[in-house]
Amino acid sequence: MLAFATRRIVGSIPVLLVSSFVVFLLASLAGNPLGPLLARNPPPPPQTIAAETARLRLDDPLLSRYWQWLTGLFHGDFGPSVISTLDIGTELGARFLVTLRLIAVAMLVALVLAVVVGVVSAVKQYSITDYSATFLGFLFLSMPSFWLAILLKQAGIGFNLALGDQVIFTIGEATPNFQGSFWERIGDVAGHLVLPTISLALISYAAWSRYQRSSMLEVLNSDYVRLARAKGLSRTTVLVRHGLRTALIPLTTVTALDLAAIISGAVVTEQVFQWRGMGDFLLNAIRTDDVYATMAWLLVTATVVIGFNLLADLLYAVLDPRIRYA
Amino acid sequence: MPLAAMSAVVVLVLSACGGGGGGGASQGGVFADCKTNPNTCNSVPPDQLRQGGQITFALEKNIDNFFLLSSGGAVVDASNALRPLLPYVYGVQPDLEITLNQDVMESVEQTSDNPQTIVYKIRPEAAWSDGTPVSADDFIFTWRYQDATTCPGCAPANTAGFNQLASVTGSDGGKTVTAVFASPFADWKNLWSSGTPLYPAHIAAQQGDYTTAEGLKKIETYFSATVPTWSAGPFQVQSWENNVALTIVPNPRWYGATKPKLDRVVFRVITDATQAPIALQNNEVQVIFPQPQVDLVEQVAAIPGVSQFQQLGLAWEHIDLNLRNPFLAAEPLRDALFLAVNRQKMIDKTVGQFNPDVVPLGSNVLLPDQDGYQDSYAALGATGDLEAAKKILIDAGYTGVGTALVTPDGQAVPTLRMRYTVGNAIRQSQSEIFVAAARQLGVDFRIQTLDDLGGVLSSGDFDAIVYAYVSSPFPFGNAQQILVTGGGNNFAGYSDPRVDTLLNEAAASTDTAAGIAKLVEANAIIADASFQLPLYQKPTFLAVRNNVANARSNPTLDGPTYNIEEWGLRAP
Repeated sequence: MLAFATRRIVGSIPVLLVSSFVVFLLASLAGNPLGPLLARNPPPPPQTIAAETARLRLDDPLLSRYWQWLTGLFHGDFGPSVISTLDIGTELGARFLVTLRLIAVAMLVALVLAVVVGVVSAVKQYSITDYSATFLGFLFLSMPSFWLAILLKQAGIGFNLALGDQVIFTIGEATPNFQGSFWERIGDVAGHLVLPTISLALISYAAWSRYQRSSMLEVLNSDYVRLARAKGLSRTTVLVRHGLRTALIPLTTVTALDLAAIISGAVVTEQVFQWRGMGDFLLNAIRTDDVYATMAWLLVTATVVIGFNLLADLLYAVLDPRIRYA
Repeated sequence: MPLAAMSAVVVLVLSACGGGGGGGASQGGVFADCKTNPNTCNSVPPDQLRQGGQITFALEKNIDNFFLLSSGGAVVDASNALRPLLPYVYGVQPDLEITLNQDVMESVEQTSDNPQTIVYKIRPEAAWSDGTPVSADDFIFTWRYQDATTCPGCAPANTAGFNQLASVTGSDGGKTVTAVFASPFADWKNLWSSGTPLYPAHIAAQQGDYTTAEGLKKIETYFSATVPTWSAGPFQVQSWENNVALTIVPNPRWYGATKPKLDRVVFRVITDATQAPIALQNNEVQVIFPQPQVDLVEQVAAIPGVSQFQQLGLAWEHIDLNLRNPFLAAEPLRDALFLAVNRQKMIDKTVGQFNPDVVPLGSNVLLPDQDGYQDSYAALGATGDLEAAKKILIDAGYTGVGTALVTPDGQAVPTLRMRYTVGNAIRQSQSEIFVAAARQLGVDFRIQTLDDLGGVLSSGDFDAIVYAYVSSPFPFGNAQQILVTGGGNNFAGYSDPRVDTLLNEAAASTDTAAGIAKLVEANAIIADASFQLPLYQKPTFLAVRNNVANARSNPTLDGPTYNIEEWGLRAP
């Protein structure tokens, strides 16, 4: 398995290199980082434009810029941002943690919901519960994430009004400069976390609950489950020990493979809820034609996605002995 | 559980659809008298305000740079948040009146016309929060940074006027500053004003020698990246969370007449303008200052306990024709195109939907609230008079008028490009109306979006283009930049020696009234040239929760925080 993992990691390096080169070319050619400066009224003095041109390496040929960026990475230098005060590496590190928190909590909530609803739907196939879960699954699946987020915000405001207190917040990860006890601070963070988490979780939950349902149905109709029942095992033992355990294998890999989609969802969620994570970082970078910031985002995200794809393969082998011994 | 979840969704949908009603641009509430009393509306005397409390102000952009004098720091949002820390000489009131900052300055006087000499007297008690007096050194340091010669590698946002100063000297223990110009500068009040405030020279000196290029570069880097711990304004910084919020609290050493009533003001970064009204509704912010759009205005109007006000601002939309294009270089074609455009229709289909006060603008050099404003375009048309437009072309010898235009010398006018910034729905509508009018004259324009306005303008990569200029309460330098031959913002390639002479004389005039007369005279020539059609002033938009007192719209760079020391919460 170690050889397999090593092969996969080495194989992903050319993928990263080629994709970074293509994105660097596209990002560099698509916009002009000096555009906002050139359009200013009153105009900046020529010395300012010259200084910014030099700082952003715009006098250098494109290939030279890419090479400087690539070699700079080995020294921890992600290149100059259009924001002169921004250290891309430091900023990205802080934002990575923010996104990680959002995604981790949302994935956890989505997984728990998906497993419970998927199993119940499978066990009570074609019941009203199953139909309701199916309806909701497809509803959330088809709902644009930003729209769902806006609905949740309005619901949160309605909840606050009904309660006569502000416990649900619509922007940010916490109240800035919050004054209060430890527990009040926990409450404040939770009040900020609830809406974005639900928003991001519901979209993943929708797809995953469908996977879990079909996987569970397949297992419940298999011969070994029938045998377990025939042997007189209790219904709970059959469902949990023999059914659910096996039916979780496809969901595990789907979850790991879906990470790219969740990161995409997080871009929208972070924007709507004004979380300063990786998604917000990417949108700012694109908005300001910040080539090096865009590249840094791509590098981190691509590495995470490749890592999770590898993890999915490894997990599958760990969970399913048939794969491991094949 | 699925049933419960379904119920929750129904509740969500219902709550999202309800709770509103109404719409339109309500301008009442605490801002009811802002139209008639822009400088004093929403006023509450200090003794009737609550002592303490917090107001949160939504910023549309992060503060990426704390040095407002640098190109990276000269951003409206940063200016709104940082001005409460910075001393300056002149400020601009909501009605565009330029007023002396009497908290900092005792007097300012032009003592000589030749050479133009200004004497600034600083109040003795004006001091930075560490006790260092506000002094001539602060004037000298900020002049050196913006003089365009001491530090060629620095990136100041603007050097206009500072680069005409021959000397800046201190006397009277640093409390008197004498500035002597090498050549006259009509907009001298713009120097060290709220747009280019003073920074502490003694803090700068700790980073490097501000009379040298190396020192200034170090100082620029330091001030750009360092959260100010110092202040000479009514507030000082308590905390800064990058991309999240700047919190300011009263400066205990504030020497000004009005002491802040609030405990703190939080500038909360909300980069998605569509989320700001929701945060206002949920009382997470109490003041928002976004760009108005139909949806946003209606959304805010539906929030109970919130007042909003739109004021016509300093930014103005216009259509430029590129005079480098040989077909557009012919004046009759330009005259006909502008005559065929119906500016009122453009307004009605765009900003007029949320602001009925917007009217066609009549000047390229002055705005209606400024002294000397005259409508130079009223007589020239731009009312959609197609027949008159066609007659101009026919009289000039054009053929194919109304079908496919051919010049008097027999050349078919090719398809031209009308450009606007991608994603800007208002400019899209304006472009479509312009193109439709041109088509009726037989001129075919193809609409082409752009995503790099600065690049397109500076390279002249357009035939016609719609965008905005941001004017200034200091009009002389502004007019030079956009209309004099080779001016930094003269993107259409306009050149007329008569206009150059008038605008340069106006900018060098030490007599303001005489200077304005020259601006007006120049604008008549500019309007007659039909190359830059002013459309309208863009409105600014301010919304507050009704318990916020003394906050009011200010459409200039000074912004709504121009009087932040007066802000407070109404007593319950």
